[in-house]
Amino acid sequence: MDFRGILDRLKARQAPGLVGSDEPRAADPADKKDKGRAGDPFLWVEAQALPRFLELCRDDERLRFECLIDLTATDPSKDDPNLHVVVQLLSLAFRHRLMVKCTLPKAAASMPSSVPVHRAAQWHERECGEMFGITFTGHPDPRHILLPEDWIGTPLRKDYVFPDEYHGISCK
Amino acid sequence: MAESTATTEREFMLDVRTQDMEVNMGPQHPATHGVMRILMRADGEICTGAQPHLGYLHRCAEKIGENVEWLQYLPYTDRYDYLAAMNNNLGYSLAVEKLMGIEIPRRALMIRTICAELNRIGSHLIAFGTYGLDIGAFTPFLYMFREREWMMALFEKICGARLTYSYIRIGGVFNDAPPGWLSEVERFCDVFEEKWQEYVDLLMVNHIFVQRTANIGVISPAMALDFGLSGPMVRGSGIDWDLRRDMPYELYAEIWKAGAFSIPLGKGERGALGDCWDRAYVRVMEMMESIKIVRWCLDSIAPGPVIADIPKTLRVPAGEAYVGIENPRGELGHYVVSDGGKVAVRCRVRGPSFTNLAVVEELMPGTLIADAVAIIGSTDIVVGETDR
Repeated sequence: MDFRGILDRLKARQAPGLVGSDEPRAADPADKKDKGRAGDPFLWVEAQALPRFLELCRDDERLRFECLIDLTATDPSKDDPNLHVVVQLLSLAFRHRLMVKCTLPKAAASMPSSVPVHRAAQWHERECGEMFGITFTGHPDPRHILLPEDWIGTPLRKDYVFPDEYHGISCK
Repeated sequence: MAESTATTEREFMLDVRTQDMEVNMGPQHPATHGVMRILMRADGEICTGAQPHLGYLHRCAEKIGENVEWLQYLPYTDRYDYLAAMNNNLGYSLAVEKLMGIEIPRRALMIRTICAELNRIGSHLIAFGTYGLDIGAFTPFLYMFREREWMMALFEKICGARLTYSYIRIGGVFNDAPPGWLSEVERFCDVFEEKWQEYVDLLMVNHIFVQRTANIGVISPAMALDFGLSGPMVRGSGIDWDLRRDMPYELYAEIWKAGAFSIPLGKGERGALGDCWDRAYVRVMEMMESIKIVRWCLDSIAPGPVIADIPKTLRVPAGEAYVGIENPRGELGHYVVSDGGKVAVRCRVRGPSFTNLAVVEELMPGTLIADAVAIIGSTDIVVGETDR
C-alpha cells in the first residue's frame, strides 16, 4: 500500500491521535522563499496517543505494521520549543513502510512508553531518553544505555554544552 | 517448606546446593568481539539473567553528523560496522541521494553492488569463523581469514584502504576499477566457490558444532518481529524477508528478476526452527548467493562514468528521508534531516547490531553458562555499531 492508501485506511479506522500528514512537494515557482520539501512522507500523531496508534497499526489486518524498526527524536533547532519523536514502522506482510512523527514540548518532555506494543522500542527509548531528555512513562528499565549513568546533560539537543571534564578527565 | 518448587526440583536435578552469583562477562572478553560487558546472574551452571551494558565504544557518531558537512561525514560511516564498511557507505550515500534526487551512472551502480556483496562475504566469513572460534573450533577461523585477506587485497587495489574504505561516495564511487580488477574478482569467485564447500564440510555439518548450536537460543518468528530483528536473525527463524528483494534499492530489483540469487532461510534442519545453527546456516548459504550476484554484475558491466556530477560542497534540499538497506547484519537505516544547508540537522543511524543484541536479554535466562557464548556469537554483533 502506498502512503495515501495507508492514510485513508487510518482515517477510516479513526486512528487514535492522528493529527495530519506531510508529503514531499516541489518548490512553488511564485514564491521565491519556498524551496519545497524533499524525501519521504510522514504522519503527525499526538505524542500521548502514540502507543495506541502503534497498536492499531500493528493489529489492523490491512496495515499490519508488525515491526518497529526505529524510534528516535530530532531537535529541529535551538529556538524551537518542541522536539520531534520519529518512529519508523515496517510491514513484512505487505512490504510497506511508514514514518510517524510526534511533537513533544522541550519543557515537559514526557510521553507514554511504546514497549507494551513493540518490545523493540525498549532499547530505542532508552537511547532516545538519555540523548534528548525524554521521559517514557511506564518504561520497564529506564536506565542510560550508551552514556554513563552519571552523565549530565542531553547530548543530542541543540543547546547542549560540551562538558569541560568528566571525573577528572579533560574533555577539551 | 519455604523454598519454591522450582528450586527444589533444580536441587534434586543437580544434587548440589547453589546460590545466585553475578559474573561480569567482559568488558574485555573474546566472545563479545569488542568492548562490551554482559552482567550475568548464574545459579550454579544455569544462567538466570543477563544484562548487556553498552557504551564503551560510543563515539558520538550522530552528534558528529550534525557538525560536519554532508561529504565529510562519509568516513565516519565506515567506523560503525567496520566489518562491512562498504555497505555503510552505501546506506548513507543512498539516504543523501534520496534527498538530492541524483541519478547514479549505471557502471557506478554495478561497482557498488560488487563491492557491497564482496564485503558481505568478508563480513560473513568473520561472523562464521569467529563463531567457530568462540565455541572451540580454531582451524576454520584461519581458513576463513585466508579468503578474507584476498577480499581485502581486492579492496586495497580499488580504493587503497583495507578496512575503512569511504569508496562508495554520494553520487557514485570514488574512482573506476583499475585495469584487471574485474577479472581478479572473477578469479576470486572461482576459488571461493571451491573453498566454501570446505567450510561446510569442516564446520557447518561438524558433529560437535551441531551439538553446540542446535536447539540453543531459539528465536520464534513472533519474537523476532516483536524485537524488530532483521537480516540473518529473522531469516534464521524462517521469516522470508530480505530488503534486497522486498524493498529493492540500486540494481537488486533487476538482479532478482534475472533470477540471479535466492534467499536462504532457516528450516530447523538440525534442531528447532530459529536456533543458533539456523542463523549460522543462513550466513553460510548467503555467501554463495553473494557470489552469484557478483557474477551477474561481472557479466553485465559496461564502460561508462562512475560518478554523477555533484558540487564539491553539497547543499542538500530541505526535507527528511529514511533509507534502510540490507547490511550483512540486518537492516541498516539512515534517517537524515536537512534544512537546505551544508550540514545535516539530524543524522540518525539505526544499526542492526543494536536491535539484534536486545534479544540476548530475553534468550539467556534458563540456558547453561556454556551456551551463553554460543548465543552471543550467533547474534553476530559488531560493538562499533551497537555503540556508534
